[in-house]
Amino acid sequence: MKRLALAGLGLGLGIWAAAAQAAQRFPPPQFETDYQIPTVHLSPPREALWEALDAAVLAAALSAASWLVFKKRSRRWIAALSVFSLLYFGFWRRGCICSVGALGNVVLSLFDPSYVLPLTAAVFFLLPLLFGLFFGRVFCGAVCPLGAIQDLVVFRPLSVPFWLETALRMIAWIYLAAAVLMAAAGSGLLICRYDPFVSFFRLSLNTPLWILGLLCLGVGVFIARPYCRFVCPYGLLLRQMSRLSFWSVRITPDECIQCRLCEEACPLGAIEPPTAPWPAKLLPAERRRLGLLILLLPLLMALGGWIGYRLHPVLAAGHPAVALAEQVRLWQSGKMTERTDEIRAWETSGKPAESLWPQEAAVLQKFSLGGLLAGIFVGFAAGVKLIQVSIHRVRKEYQANRAGCLACGRCFAFCPRQQMREKARAVSAEKKQVEG
Amino acid sequence: MRQLLKKMRFAKTNSGLLALLLALGAFGAGFIAYLILDRAFFVKKKVPAAYEYPIEQLAVIDPGLIVCRQVGSPIETGLQRASAVDVDAQGILYAAGDEKILVFSSSGRKEKEIILPAMPTALKTAEGLLYTALTERIELYSPQGEQLAVWANIPAALLTSIAVGREDVFAADALHKVVRRFDKQGNPLGLIGQKDAERGIEGFVVPSPYFDILIAPDGLLRVVNPGRQRVEAYTFDGHLEWHWGSPSMGIEGFCGCCNPVALAMLPDGTFVTAEKGLVRVKLYDDEGNLLGVVAGPRQLGWQAPIRVCEGPQDCQVRGLDVAADPQGRIYVLEQVRNTILVFEKIQ
Amino acid sequence: MEHQPSEFFSRRQFLKDGVWTVSAALGGAASALLAARSRRQGWLWQIDPYKCIACGRCATHCVLTESAVKCVHAFALCGYCDLCTGYFGPEPKALDTGAEHQLCPTGAIRRRFIEEPYFEFTIDESRCIGCGKCVVGCSAFGNGSLFLQVRQDRCLNCNECSIARVCPSRAFVRVPADQPYLLKDAAS
Repeated sequence: MKRLALAGLGLGLGIWAAAAQAAQRFPPPQFETDYQIPTVHLSPPREALWEALDAAVLAAALSAASWLVFKKRSRRWIAALSVFSLLYFGFWRRGCICSVGALGNVVLSLFDPSYVLPLTAAVFFLLPLLFGLFFGRVFCGAVCPLGAIQDLVVFRPLSVPFWLETALRMIAWIYLAAAVLMAAAGSGLLICRYDPFVSFFRLSLNTPLWILGLLCLGVGVFIARPYCRFVCPYGLLLRQMSRLSFWSVRITPDECIQCRLCEEACPLGAIEPPTAPWPAKLLPAERRRLGLLILLLPLLMALGGWIGYRLHPVLAAGHPAVALAEQVRLWQSGKMTERTDEIRAWETSGKPAESLWPQEAAVLQKFSLGGLLAGIFVGFAAGVKLIQVSIHRVRKEYQANRAGCLACGRCFAFCPRQQMREKARAVSAEKKQVEG
Repeated sequence: MRQLLKKMRFAKTNSGLLALLLALGAFGAGFIAYLILDRAFFVKKKVPAAYEYPIEQLAVIDPGLIVCRQVGSPIETGLQRASAVDVDAQGILYAAGDEKILVFSSSGRKEKEIILPAMPTALKTAEGLLYTALTERIELYSPQGEQLAVWANIPAALLTSIAVGREDVFAADALHKVVRRFDKQGNPLGLIGQKDAERGIEGFVVPSPYFDILIAPDGLLRVVNPGRQRVEAYTFDGHLEWHWGSPSMGIEGFCGCCNPVALAMLPDGTFVTAEKGLVRVKLYDDEGNLLGVVAGPRQLGWQAPIRVCEGPQDCQVRGLDVAADPQGRIYVLEQVRNTILVFEKIQ
Repeated sequence: MEHQPSEFFSRRQFLKDGVWTVSAALGGAASALLAARSRRQGWLWQIDPYKCIACGRCATHCVLTESAVKCVHAFALCGYCDLCTGYFGPEPKALDTGAEHQLCPTGAIRRRFIEEPYFEFTIDESRCIGCGKCVVGCSAFGNGSLFLQVRQDRCLNCNECSIARVCPSRAFVRVPADQPYLLKDAAS
């Protein structure tokens, strides 16, 4: 606003100021008529209050989701809440800001000192994780707009074999590592760039993004929520929270009678049947295998680190400083004949090509270290996953896998105990009505 | 109820695995296709031709029109902001800018610096003296750098050019859009070029701080009227005699909204004009017929219509100044790199 | 498998509670740190007009079909030229408002006579698509009073701005929400 006022004042002062500053700013003409030079009016951005409202809605939706999953135990209400979230965070707020993308903001703020994290982004990043620590993935089930839009198309879910599911989840680990690396090195916010549903939310015509979004939804008819299960990096963080969560989603409201009715109720394949203890004679072999896998872990980390390091020029290619240096090199060597806007901008900036190389080298160095660390991280994740799947856990009842369960509530209705409970509730309500 | 649940139960068959792998394959293929599309459609998306201003095509000049060639390499002034150039009868070159005047030998070697109290906005050598304008006033220096006279301030003026006659000195005032006439002692004698319907004077239009004048051997003052893209001839008493020049992006006219920005004269009476924007230096006769091109955008290092710059000071359109020596050499001060380019006619 | 189930579970439970407490404490500390480092004010995207070369990608790369970027006219910098090079095409046959003489592909600039020889030029925002063609014309020859800005009432403030991603001169910057515009003005 101050700048606007100054621009307006410029009429009066400009003449003298310009005269004093020599030829730096040449004033507009002095009009003989009473024409007044208009001031520039620019509309202000959306009120900050709305962002506080977004955070409040998020908190309310998470609380409601937790209550619906743990107390009300009603799939219908959970679905209704997820539709609301889709409408509010998706179509009304146009998909920004979302918790999944806020991961990028957090990383950016940790590595770029000029970027201070907005409180809203911090809240969107932290709140679902915090709820995850208490209630599991209630965010995924009912609040995340990306999840909600995929949940609407789960018509013919097929069960994905355990090995395939586990293997495909590595995509998410790689994506998480890449997204953190890109955000930290200043290459951009990958998660937001390749958000498959954001162009639906904005109703904007971006052909590649529409194809990606439709692809996700098309596949989502048969493989429930493919983005959430195999791609979403934020989902990985929530998985870890959910593993530790204080309360976890239970299929049955009280006690499991092992009726097996819920066995196939979960479109995500997150319901695990009870297991018997392993036969004692198999134990030594299994122990040996576990030992080998633990030894494999550092090897996988080394392999991942090596691959990440080797890939760093590819990873860095999208960074603006590296891309510009590459273009300038091609232009100077005559391999690129079209004078692009980038070349035009660089030429007129008056910066010599020699000043680009150190910038490029600095970014490449960042990426070589980052690529190494990201690779080690992915290798570690793969190794731990292998160890995890070979540890045998004894289960007495049908359980929702703590990490995999998205708290969608689909299995509740399959449990006869739940049905009995609802029936009893209905009867008592009727009785009350009759008495009343 | 149990029947209903059975129906609702999700398919879990082994044949589903095939469908699953197919779906996943489609997903993977689609994702790779997407990444390719993203680069092709989004990153390399072409801007429609209707949104582009093809100025670069206009910058191409027919080589047959170019009648001059560059002599030697450009003289680096080393100034941050060079404002004017002039050359005296001996071929000594002067460049003004950054609160100083630089003196170069005819071979282009820097000989001397004359420190000024403020940013110079115009420079003229005449009769062995240096006349320089410092925004609101004129100061006189000897070529050795001695300050000889300081004329009275003209409030809120911006003097962008000086012309020295036998008994008069003229200064172009870009803010008041008039030419000021002085005697040699600096006493004001009058104004030239104010709007005057009776004398047929439409007035100067000066939208940017470029407003140049010179005195031709015929004893008339030539004043650039940049907003009307022409050069006007005035008597010293302020009578408009005639004018020439027309707006056009084509080579025969003056391009843009406010050109030419500078004027000089060769010993044979040919006019040298300089245009900013689409930078070009051209030769005209006294009726406004194009005689040839000294240098076009390519020769003057022009790169693009808009420059990327650091801030407001840096971002003004940088123009040119021209001067000519008695041998017919043309000196072009180019204000983006602050260098002086020397041209001579191809014999 | 000699363990009594109850003992087994209680040991697990104890371990679990311990891990939960530790991770909750760690998470809480990290959250507090993150929240302390954050600030209430958000960021918005804006174009640094001094870095912009008006390449035209603002019109084509915004996620909005009608770009959030529009042209702004800083009147205080304008020369009010009759022959405005931001308004007229390279070789206008006449200096009037005839559509065939105009540079703007959507006719979004209005030309109004003020007094001899001055004309006022205003942007009709409902028509402007932010292509920057007039900006090129104005900056190449004139004072650069026309320039592009992200209209904050239209901008969706995407986390990763699609235009910023392809901006050839890296003119897109994040600005604090209380300074939403980067204007060229006469005072600077």
